[in-house]
Amino acid sequence: MHRLASKIERPFAILGEKAMKWADITGGLFLLIWQIFWNLLPWNWDFDGPEIWRNMYRVGVQSFPIVVVTAVLVGAIMVIQSGLYIEQYQAHGLLGWGAGYAILREVGPILIGLMFSGRVGANNTAELGTMKVTDQIDALRALAIDPVAYLVVPRFLSMIVMMFLLVVVGNFTALIGGAVTSQFLLGVDMMLFYQSVVTYVLLDDLWHGLIKSVMFGFAIAVISCYFGLATRGGAVGVGRAVNASVVGSAIAIFAIDYVMAFGSL
Amino acid sequence: MIRIENISKLHQGRPVLKDVSLTIDEGTNMGLIGPGGAGKSLLLKIVCGLVSPDGGKVFIDDIDVHSLSPTELADLRFRIGMLFQNYALFDFMNVAQNIAFPLHQEGGHSDEEIDARVEQALIDISLPGIGHQYPNELSGGMKKRVSFARSVIRRPPILFYDDPTAGLDPVTSSKIFILLQKMKTEGGVTSVTISHDIKGIRDICDQFALLDEGELIFVGTHDEIEACDIPMVQKFWQGYSDDELDT
Repeated sequence: MHRLASKIERPFAILGEKAMKWADITGGLFLLIWQIFWNLLPWNWDFDGPEIWRNMYRVGVQSFPIVVVTAVLVGAIMVIQSGLYIEQYQAHGLLGWGAGYAILREVGPILIGLMFSGRVGANNTAELGTMKVTDQIDALRALAIDPVAYLVVPRFLSMIVMMFLLVVVGNFTALIGGAVTSQFLLGVDMMLFYQSVVTYVLLDDLWHGLIKSVMFGFAIAVISCYFGLATRGGAVGVGRAVNASVVGSAIAIFAIDYVMAFGSL
Repeated sequence: MIRIENISKLHQGRPVLKDVSLTIDEGTNMGLIGPGGAGKSLLLKIVCGLVSPDGGKVFIDDIDVHSLSPTELADLRFRIGMLFQNYALFDFMNVAQNIAFPLHQEGGHSDEEIDARVEQALIDISLPGIGHQYPNELSGGMKKRVSFARSVIRRPPILFYDDPTAGLDPVTSSKIFILLQKMKTEGGVTSVTISHDIKGIRDICDQFALLDEGELIFVGTHDEIEACDIPMVQKFWQGYSDDELDT
């Protein structure tokens, strides 16, 4: 009887445990967002210019090469994939529109967001996680310093600003990559590609992608900082936190993208 | 004065601190001893407000630490220095920046004054000229001494040392104890020192408290601990074991 009862209870116990874990993460994320905005209120904000500048360099400038390479390849792939149909229907004038629309609105922000979360988000979680398990976060608190104000706010601002700028740069280089590929692989004149982009791609498409980039930057910053500060259990814990941060950021990117795509219908 | 009243704490449903009460008078140097895993470091973190207890209260100068707002707690922490067991030096700062950090955060000090105080602190810990080095370039003993310098640079009236000699060789340990002794002789400081080095803390503490499995089983002076007939206290104080080892 006892064994039967415990067998029946087991799935509920697992379910309850998972629900508690998710509630803990969700609550922690919202609490962190609240603390960040609290620290950003004009009368609370202790603006640390050099720290923000240093973070911008670290998360933005140092990500520049990888974003450029990704963007050029994305542009080239978009053109190659559309090339088959463009050739079939002899619709060379639509090549720029097809590639430009997809790059600016969807593929550019998403792929750069994923690269950003893999490089910057993971690094951020590992750094904060290591500080947590080596008592550096407690040391800050013991020295009367709020870790959110000192460590998270500069990272949060830098990640949002630099994600936006990287997507601007990435969009531009992806279009260049697409134009070059269309010229040399498909024989479609670069000027025709350019005209097609300018004529058919709307400013709204560009803004749609750029707003996404800000949302992605926000999500990656909050998630990576949360999992970093919530790290427990030494080096193994840091590994787990980085894993959770990258997976969480990727899910957030696709979820935000879905909501924004649905909202723009 | 630090007053700890009926502190209890659970970890994953298991009690790790059980109804601990302790009073540390102003100017007293309290040695907190006990076996590993007894809850000493946790108690210290609860006292300085880094961890919240599940029950009980902590008063520092009659201020209830765990009822303070974050701003009030920050103000209180300006009066506390803490030396962490595993150094907790900031990796992204060099030694000089680590030591100067509390002064920068406190404000009201000129750059020249901070530089002078950092330089003096490095001389005091017998490590002059290493200000430009980063924590990962230092040995364990050097890190401990730098961490000590950072914890006392603001000259706080309350100091907590969490196992200041853990993992150090006897020579470096004695250097650390000389620093702690110096803090004691300068006077006016209330301190709590966690250590397993009984021989070392005998001279620097006025009172001793022994924590075993989350329970405070002894509080008293040097003479009282010598005369105490609780077997666990004597075993720990004298440093012997009843258990026989297989040979």
